Amino acid sequence: MTGLVQTVPLRRRRPIARAVEGQELALVVVIAALWLALSFGTSTFLTGSNLRNILFAVAATAIIGIGMTPVIVTGGIDVSVGSMAAVVMVVVAKLVRDAGAPAPLAVLVAVALGLALGCVNGLLVSLGGIHPIIVTFGTLNVFRFVALRIFENKQVAGVPDTLGWFGGGQAGLGLLGVPHAWWLAMVLAALTWCYMRYWATGRHWYAIGNDADAARLAGIHVRQRIVSAYALTGFFVGLAACVLVGSGGLVQQNAGTGLELQVIAAVVIGGTSILGGRGTVLGTLLGALLVGTVTSAITLLGWPSELTELFIGAFILVAVGVDLVRERRRRAR
Amino acid sequence: MTTADTRPGATASATAPPVLRLTGIDKRYGGVHALRGVDFELARGEVHALVGENGAGKSTLIKIVSGAETPDAGRIEINGETLATGSTTSALGAGIATVYQEPQLFGELTVAENVFIGRERRRAGIVQRGRQHEEVVSLLERMGLDAAVADVRVADLSVAEQQLVSIAKAFASQPRILILDEPSAILTDREIETLFAAVRGMCDSGVAVIYISHRLDELAQITDRVTVLRDGQVVASRPTRELSVRAVAELMVGHKLETGQVNRTVADAEPALAASGLGRQDVFADVNLAVRPGEVVALYGLVGSGAASIARALYGIDPADSGAVRINGRDVALKSPADAVRHGITMLPANRKVQGVFSSKSIAFNISSAHLRLLSRARLWVNRGRERSVAQDFIKRIAIKAPGPATLVGNLSGGNQQKVVLARQLVERPRILLLEEPTQGVDVGAKDEIHRIIVDLADAGSAVLVVSSDLPEVLQLADRVLVVRAGRIAASFDRGARQADVLAAAAGDDGSGRASAAGRDSTTEVGAA
Amino acid sequence: MTTRTAEPEQLKDDKTEPVAVGARIARALRFVLSERVALLSVLLVIVVVWFWYLGRNDYLVAPYDADYLASALETMVPLCLLGLAEFIVIVSGRGGIDLSVGSIVSLSGMAFGFMVGQWGWPVLPALALTILVGGVLGAANGLLVAYLGFPALIATLATYYAYGSLALVSNDRAPISTRPIQDLHSLTRPLDLPVVPDLPAQMLTFLVPCVLVVWLVINRSTYGRKLYAIGTNDVAARFANLDVRQTRFRAYVASGLLSGVVAVVTVAQFASARPDAGSVGNGMALPAITIAVLGGVAITGGLGRVAGVVIAALLIIWLNAGILLAFEGSDGSQFQLLALGAVLVLSALLNAITLRRRGGVR
Repeated sequence: MTGLVQTVPLRRRRPIARAVEGQELALVVVIAALWLALSFGTSTFLTGSNLRNILFAVAATAIIGIGMTPVIVTGGIDVSVGSMAAVVMVVVAKLVRDAGAPAPLAVLVAVALGLALGCVNGLLVSLGGIHPIIVTFGTLNVFRFVALRIFENKQVAGVPDTLGWFGGGQAGLGLLGVPHAWWLAMVLAALTWCYMRYWATGRHWYAIGNDADAARLAGIHVRQRIVSAYALTGFFVGLAACVLVGSGGLVQQNAGTGLELQVIAAVVIGGTSILGGRGTVLGTLLGALLVGTVTSAITLLGWPSELTELFIGAFILVAVGVDLVRERRRRAR
Repeated sequence: MTTADTRPGATASATAPPVLRLTGIDKRYGGVHALRGVDFELARGEVHALVGENGAGKSTLIKIVSGAETPDAGRIEINGETLATGSTTSALGAGIATVYQEPQLFGELTVAENVFIGRERRRAGIVQRGRQHEEVVSLLERMGLDAAVADVRVADLSVAEQQLVSIAKAFASQPRILILDEPSAILTDREIETLFAAVRGMCDSGVAVIYISHRLDELAQITDRVTVLRDGQVVASRPTRELSVRAVAELMVGHKLETGQVNRTVADAEPALAASGLGRQDVFADVNLAVRPGEVVALYGLVGSGAASIARALYGIDPADSGAVRINGRDVALKSPADAVRHGITMLPANRKVQGVFSSKSIAFNISSAHLRLLSRARLWVNRGRERSVAQDFIKRIAIKAPGPATLVGNLSGGNQQKVVLARQLVERPRILLLEEPTQGVDVGAKDEIHRIIVDLADAGSAVLVVSSDLPEVLQLADRVLVVRAGRIAASFDRGARQADVLAAAAGDDGSGRASAAGRDSTTEVGAA
Repeated sequence: MTTRTAEPEQLKDDKTEPVAVGARIARALRFVLSERVALLSVLLVIVVVWFWYLGRNDYLVAPYDADYLASALETMVPLCLLGLAEFIVIVSGRGGIDLSVGSIVSLSGMAFGFMVGQWGWPVLPALALTILVGGVLGAANGLLVAYLGFPALIATLATYYAYGSLALVSNDRAPISTRPIQDLHSLTRPLDLPVVPDLPAQMLTFLVPCVLVVWLVINRSTYGRKLYAIGTNDVAARFANLDVRQTRFRAYVASGLLSGVVAVVTVAQFASARPDAGSVGNGMALPAITIAVLGGVAITGGLGRVAGVVIAALLIIWLNAGILLAFEGSDGSQFQLLALGAVLVLSALLNAITLRRRGGVR
């Protein structure tokens, strides 16, 4: 009760332990256990090609999730990322196929476009004063419209693998045989993690999620920080679109549908509170990895692939349930 | 009218100009004259207590000094220079830091981060954690707090600890003037000692402190000077050592005519509500009380005394975890509001906006919401005709100023909103009515009317328990006053008690501080000072 | 903060003395802008008249007449019913929302398919049981949200996945479209009605009764009162001795029941129980939430009216029907998305501005 006044050391979390949240450790343990079990249970799980597939399959979700994490930390949400990804994908695909744009130009256009679309969301939320879920439900439809107009009623077939560096093919393999896309996700996660942990403006996201009014009184530029979170999400959606277009081939008109829910699932499993104020991108990365592991495991075990989503649902409930119990116990103290 | 003596502050030298000088501060809110030409001086290095009853104007004065409100007239000078009023930034710039009762902290950030939020020590945008850590550690050590909490999340601290952190945060901004608004209300004795040591340390380095408190017993321990506000005016400003707790209490209440003192007699009968040994861990303990039918009993206590929690336990919102409650002689368990309502208990909550009204809904909706079963057909459909006529009836009976039952409650004045919530408790005449701060934030006219309604109800045979920190109200309404201090019933007064006596009992009237205060329940000791 | 929407009615009551024409117009305008049902009704009239005018002048590929409008109502049934489902859970407050309605439609639709198509049960008991299945699935949401304290967005996201997955697994991804199921299509044939144009049968057999029941429950029953009360202020509701958790729980059950009704309608309409019925395209939850919000339901709870949701559904359906005729090929369906998104954001923006003007907190 009176710990602050006592001079004996506290039996509280040590600063070192704080670098990694409890939920993240739990996720590492769960993923490790799953991998261990699967390496015994199947002959194909712990092979290079399977692990490569898993990592590539979840890379796009992870990258968008890294952007979504600060949005949710500020107490918002962005359900428009699927449509946003579709816009960027079709533009990039047409750019490399029809205009023969080189990879750097394509990437530049992708991130610029994503950034612009993210800013639209951010401005509507912060200046328009509209609830984030309504704004992004609206832009989900509008962005999808924009994407379909650019598709011009045809899927984009025969896209060259200009962006193969990002893709899941041979050209996309990097160091240690790990796909570039996953390296990209890890680097982005590391950068964002540092930013959210060490930069003052990164810490302000947490403050806003805890109490936006108090944050304003403390002199934090709340509106600007909120716009920046949505803009960052857009930026990362641009990069994720490059990954999705990477291998070339086909971009379909329904590209990106349902992506938003996958991303939110990864973020939430990673321990970010949907009520704002708490969460890290490291958790999001692990959440995406867990989802990828489960998907792969179900295929390899020969179970119906539809069961994947049942497991995702269960993981969401377990992750949030554990968190609820912990919060309740903390409050009871 | 000001009896401020001409000598400068008790500890300041005679030549130094005051750090803060207020002259002729005047403020009106609508018809309420909150401050009437207040003069106030704060000397360098002194701790200056600002005391007064609820509504005396303390918080308005503080808001004006901290820039949250603009005065209608008057001047604020800092070290002889005039300060622009009505701007929090200019107040902060002048070195005025305010610690409010509710800690404004961010739960997910560490103590160190909270202390520096918005003005982080940065290099190229990066928070210099090491530097912040060092500064916070030395700050906490200077305050006598455990420095190991510097990197603990604020959400992991108790409310009292958070309060100390928000004070540390104010210290860290190196203010010239520090305003503490009832900092001790939720602190334990040990924490208060720590706080006092820290405040003294600051004063030694020249900071001037305005200290607002209801706990008069603290004043001698920490303050150099006391200014007493009553009805928006300064009635006294004297060195603390010249005043006893009793004297301060007398000054706060003045010698007002006891208005509308009712002379009621309550028939001897078995108590409608009786609690024995009631307790809830860390909130209140060993509470014994009895309310007879037709009797109005008041629980009077200062902020944080636990009086409100006792009422809430009796309504089953935050149930008691020890002791027994008997209703009409039968033992009952009150684990939820449903239990309480089943035994004929209803409750008027204190916080009208949060706990009382459905503000976007009509008067009829608000009144009927607790009586849907009664106002229904076959328990399924709302009997809208009866609902409307009940609401219409109350609008007339207790004079709710509104065009009709369809008026939205959010459009009514505070007093009329309170009447609507009260009407909700009266649809089925309660056998036992609990009222928490029934007239808080209500204008004078409505206040009298609400008092009349309460007395009428008691006359009709209901047992009434009022929790209030409004002393005149308590004395006017109650047949018996139980004073709650530190979670225990500390004293009991019958009708006709003097305000100063009750206040002194609640504020812990003895020179030795609060430690020995709890547990006394005789009235003879009180008033000895 | 969201408490001011119905204020104009109040203002009107206050002033009965004659006012200048200009002031009267200004007040009417303010009323239309701030009263959602009025705004939507005006928009609805404008949309219908505008497209009717375009149709008369041959700008459309087919006439935009009463028969066309009536047949367009076919798509309104699921949209409107799920819009009402979202309306109920959103009104219940504390961030209420139900992302799982589409998956409930799929799963209870498959249950219906099994009962009628595979096990040969008679239609009526199967129908009742299907709606009950929907209610049970909704009860799981209610348990998570109301009793266990999960944020609604999370709980229903999880069950969206779980129910959707079970629906797909139940018949190995295959739809059930045996003879008895195909015969159900007759439930949704156009009705030959006197005077009025031929309406789809499910309008009268499913939509109208459901809307009436929801309206009665929300506006006339004690439950409706409790629902609005907990959504407006659940702390005050607790002090008023209302069972907050039970009331919120029942909102999710109601959402599940309505989804069960939609499941039956969808199976009949497609003459097939499809395991992905509720998740094709953007799924069913997103449009339903959009309709509810467009209909004036405050996302913060406690505010909203049945009429608003119904008119919003009607507006979107007839707007979409008009757009479909105004463009060739699939362009129409694309512009429908634009219209939906733009109308949603603009109406929310309008709300925010009118609230701010009148000194609302937000």
